[in-house]
Amino acid sequence: MRASSLIILFFFALSFAPLKSVNAKESVLDIQEVKSESGLTAWLVEDHSVPVIALNIGFKNAGSAYDPANKQGLARLVSNTMDEGAGSLNAKSFQKELRDLSINLGFSAGRDNFSASLKTLTKNKKRAFELLELALTQPRFDKDAVERMRQANQSRIRSSLSDPSWIAARIMNDKAYEGHPYSMNNGGTLSSLDNISIKDLKAFHEQRIGRNNMAVAVAGDIAADELKTVLDEIFSDIKTVDLKPVENIDIQNGGQTFLYKHDVPQVFIEIMQPSIKIDDPAYQAAQVMNFILGSSGFGSRLTEEIREKRGLTYGVYSYFNNMNYAQSLAVSTSTSVENTGKMLSLIKAEFNKLAQTPISEQELQDAKSYLLGSLPLSLTSTDKISGLMLQMQLNGRSIDYLDTRQETIKAMRIEDIQKIAKRLLNPEKFTTVLVGQPELKDANIIKTLPNAE
Amino acid sequence: MYPFRKTTRLLLAATFLTAMPQLAVAASPATQTSSKVFNAHSFVLDNGLKVIVVPNDRVPAVTQMVWYKVGAAYEPKGKSGIAHFLEHLMFKGSKVIGEDDLPAGEFSKKIKRLGGRDNAFTSQDYTAYFQSAPSDALETIMRMEAGRMNGMLLPKDEVTSERKVIVEERKQRTDNNPEARFFEQIRANLYLNHPYGTPVIGWKHEMEELSHKDAVDFYKKWYAPNNAFLIVSGDVTPADVFSKAIKIYGAIPKADLPKLAYTQSPPMDASPRLIMRDEQVKEPGVYKVYRTPSAVQDKDAALALDVLSEIMGGGSSARIYQSLVVEQKLASNAGFSYSGTVRSDADLYLYATPLPGVAPERIEEALNAEIQKLLKSGVSEAELQDAKTRMQDSAIYARDSLAGPAMIIGRALASGLSLDDVEYWPRDISKVSREDILKAAQDHLDEDKAATPPIVGFLLPKEGN
Repeated sequence: MRASSLIILFFFALSFAPLKSVNAKESVLDIQEVKSESGLTAWLVEDHSVPVIALNIGFKNAGSAYDPANKQGLARLVSNTMDEGAGSLNAKSFQKELRDLSINLGFSAGRDNFSASLKTLTKNKKRAFELLELALTQPRFDKDAVERMRQANQSRIRSSLSDPSWIAARIMNDKAYEGHPYSMNNGGTLSSLDNISIKDLKAFHEQRIGRNNMAVAVAGDIAADELKTVLDEIFSDIKTVDLKPVENIDIQNGGQTFLYKHDVPQVFIEIMQPSIKIDDPAYQAAQVMNFILGSSGFGSRLTEEIREKRGLTYGVYSYFNNMNYAQSLAVSTSTSVENTGKMLSLIKAEFNKLAQTPISEQELQDAKSYLLGSLPLSLTSTDKISGLMLQMQLNGRSIDYLDTRQETIKAMRIEDIQKIAKRLLNPEKFTTVLVGQPELKDANIIKTLPNAE
Repeated sequence: MYPFRKTTRLLLAATFLTAMPQLAVAASPATQTSSKVFNAHSFVLDNGLKVIVVPNDRVPAVTQMVWYKVGAAYEPKGKSGIAHFLEHLMFKGSKVIGEDDLPAGEFSKKIKRLGGRDNAFTSQDYTAYFQSAPSDALETIMRMEAGRMNGMLLPKDEVTSERKVIVEERKQRTDNNPEARFFEQIRANLYLNHPYGTPVIGWKHEMEELSHKDAVDFYKKWYAPNNAFLIVSGDVTPADVFSKAIKIYGAIPKADLPKLAYTQSPPMDASPRLIMRDEQVKEPGVYKVYRTPSAVQDKDAALALDVLSEIMGGGSSARIYQSLVVEQKLASNAGFSYSGTVRSDADLYLYATPLPGVAPERIEEALNAEIQKLLKSGVSEAELQDAKTRMQDSAIYARDSLAGPAMIIGRALASGLSLDDVEYWPRDISKVSREDILKAAQDHLDEDKAATPPIVGFLLPKEGN
C-alpha cells in the first residue's frame, strides 16, 4: 500500500532528472513528434529491442473533479467499465480476448485527467489497437458489468474504512480543498455510487472523451510511419468536446489540526501547505530543495532526523501534489501514539531550518548527482517511457523538456535553493490531519468521516 | 513456480519486507518455447559465489543484486525477526573493497550520489540487497556490496534506534491492518511447528528483545560467498562482470555453513477453521489456504499448479471470478493463487469478498463446489491452451525491464531452482497436460488425500456492527 504512493513519488522526482550523455548536445530521450494525416499528434520513442508496444492517452480536464457532488466516483466508474465490453463484444468476450492475447488495456481517472493505457506484444498489435478503438468509441456499459463494478467499488470503500492512510486522505481533501471539487472522493462514496446511472456513464463518455483535450504517447516496437496510420484508425471517430475547467484553489485551513479517532497502535500524519505551479520559474529549484528536505528517503533531512537518529518511524516523506488547479507540498508519516507531538515538532523544525539556513555545498552536489544521474532508471521499460512522455504533455512541457531540465539543474546554486525555501516553506500554514488516538490539545475532532458513506 | 507472475495484491503473498517502503518490480526479446527467456550467463568463483549476468543494453544502467540463501526460516527459536533486523543493520556501516569504510547510514547516500537507488528485502528463504545505477558505477557498487559480505561494521549504539524502526514497521504493516493480522494467524496454524508459521517481520515481543549480539551472530553464521549469489543485469558484458567479480568478490573467504534443517509439522488431524472478528473490519473476507509442494520439492506438480492457477485465478475471465462474481453474484471479488518459488512448502489459496447479505458460509460452499468440479472433471483443452499461451507471453513481457529479470532469477535460485529452470520455463509449461493438472489437483486439493488439511478463514466485522 505504502509502496505504491512512493513509486509515484519517485516517478515525479525522477521525471525531471536528465540522463548523462556522452555528447552534451545529444538528447537524453529521442522523442519524435508524429503527426497523422487527419492532424492528430503523438509523441513517440521508437525502440525495437523488445517486441512490446506501449501507448498512453490522457484526456485533460476530464477527471473526477468534474463529477457532480452527488455522483462522486462517476469518472472512476467509467474507467472501470470502459473495458467491460464494447461494440459487439460483451464484458466476458472482451475481457477474454484481452487476456488470451496478453493485451493490457486499462482506464483510470485522476482528479484532473482521464487516461487510458495499452501494452501489447507486437504480434498482437493489430487486434490490440482495434480493441482500444472499440473501448474508446463504443463502450457498452451493460447493466451487469456496471453493477458488478459498482459493487466492487463499494467493497473497496468498505475495506478502506480500516486503512488509516485512506481515512487521513478523506479528511485532508475535505479540509485542504474545502468548497472546491477537489474535496470530493474521486473513488466515490458508498451512497454516491448508487446514484450513478448507465445514462450518466454514457453522458460522461459523450462529453469528456474528446480529440481536442487528448494527448498521446507511444513507446516501443513501432515505426513513426506506421503510427501515423494507427492514430487515424484508433481516433478517427472521437469527436470534439467542450469542457470547462474548475477554478483554482489555495490550500485551505492553514494552521488547523484535525483529528479522527481510530483504534490502531500508530498515528497517521498527513500535512499539506501551499506550493507553486509547475510552470513557476523556481519549480526546478523546488525539486532540488525537496530532495534535500524529504523526497529522497535515506539522506534526506526528514529521514535522517526522524528515522535514522531517533527511530520514530519506518517512513517519512515530503512530496509535491501538483494538480492543474491546486498546488501543495505534503508530508506523510506514521509513528507510535506517544511520539505524535515530538514528530510534529521535528517536521516543523526541519521546515524552519531549511527556510532560514542555507544548505551546504555537499547537499547541493549530492542532490544534483542523483537528479542528473538517475534518469536511465526511469526509462527501463516501454511503458515507463510512454508514461513519462504522457505526463510531460499533460504538464504542458516542451518536447526537449528533459534536456532543458538538465541544464537548469546543473546551473542551480545554493542561493536558488535558499530563495525558494524561504518563499515556500511555512509551518504556520500547515493543514494537519491525524488519524489514531493521540493526546493532543488544540485539535479539531472529526466525528464523521467525510465523503465515505 | 510461475516466476513471471506479477505480485498479487493480497497480503498473504506479501512475504518479503523491504528496508525502505519502496520496490517496483517490473520485468525484455521474443521467445519460442524452446529458447531461453533471458539468455543469462553464469560462472562460479573459487570461493563458491555464483555469478549470473543478464545483458540488456537498452539504457546505460545496471542492477546488482546479492542474494543470501538465508531468511527468517533460519532464525533461532525466540529470535523471530532477526533476519530482517540484520537486513536493516547492514546499512549501518561496512567495509568497501579497496576503499575507505562507510560509516552508519552512508551506504545509501553514496549510492544516490552515483545516481543510483538501493534497497533490500527479506523473505522466509532469502535476504537480498540491490542497487540500480548508471552502468559506469558498476565497479563502485560491487566494491561496496562485496565489502559488507564479511565486513559489516555495526556500531552498538545503532541497534536501539533501528529496533524502534522495525517495531514501527511492524505496527504500520501489520498491527494497523486487520487483514495482515489475520494472515499471520492463518500462517501460524497452517505451518504448525514449521518455521514458515512465524512472520518474517517477527513477533513484536521478540523483536523488542533483539540485540547487537543476535544480529552479529546471525550474520557470522550465514553471510558468506558460498551461501550467496550475485546477479548483474543491464548494460554490461558477461566477461567484464566476471573479471570484476573475481577481482572484487574473489578474495572473500568461504565459510563453513551450518546444515539447515527445518522443524517439520506433526500429523495435522484437526481441520482448522479460523474466525477473526474485529472492530476495524468493515468488509468481510473468506479464505481457503492449502499447503502444497514448491517447485524445488516437486517440479511436475508445481508446473501443473502454475497452469491451474492461471486457469482458476488469472484475472476477471478466470474460473473463480467468473463463477462467484459474474455468474452467481455472491462476491465482489474472488480469486485463486499459487506461488511455488519457495524452499519448503508453498501456499495455494482461494479467496472471496462476499457481497452484502451473503453469508461467509455460502462463499465457502461456492469455493468448495469449484474445487469439487475441478477434482471431478479437471480443466478443458481450450482452457489449457489459452493459459499456456498467456504464460509464455508473460515471459516476453518479463524482459521489458532492468531489475525484473534479476528479481525473477534471484527468487528462483534462492528457492533452490536452477538457472535452467527459469530459462526453459516456457518449454516446461508447454508440456503440462490436462492429466498432469488433474493429478496435481487430486493429490493436493482433495481434503481427504492432502497431507495437511487446508485452513478456512473468516475475517468478519465485530458483531452488531
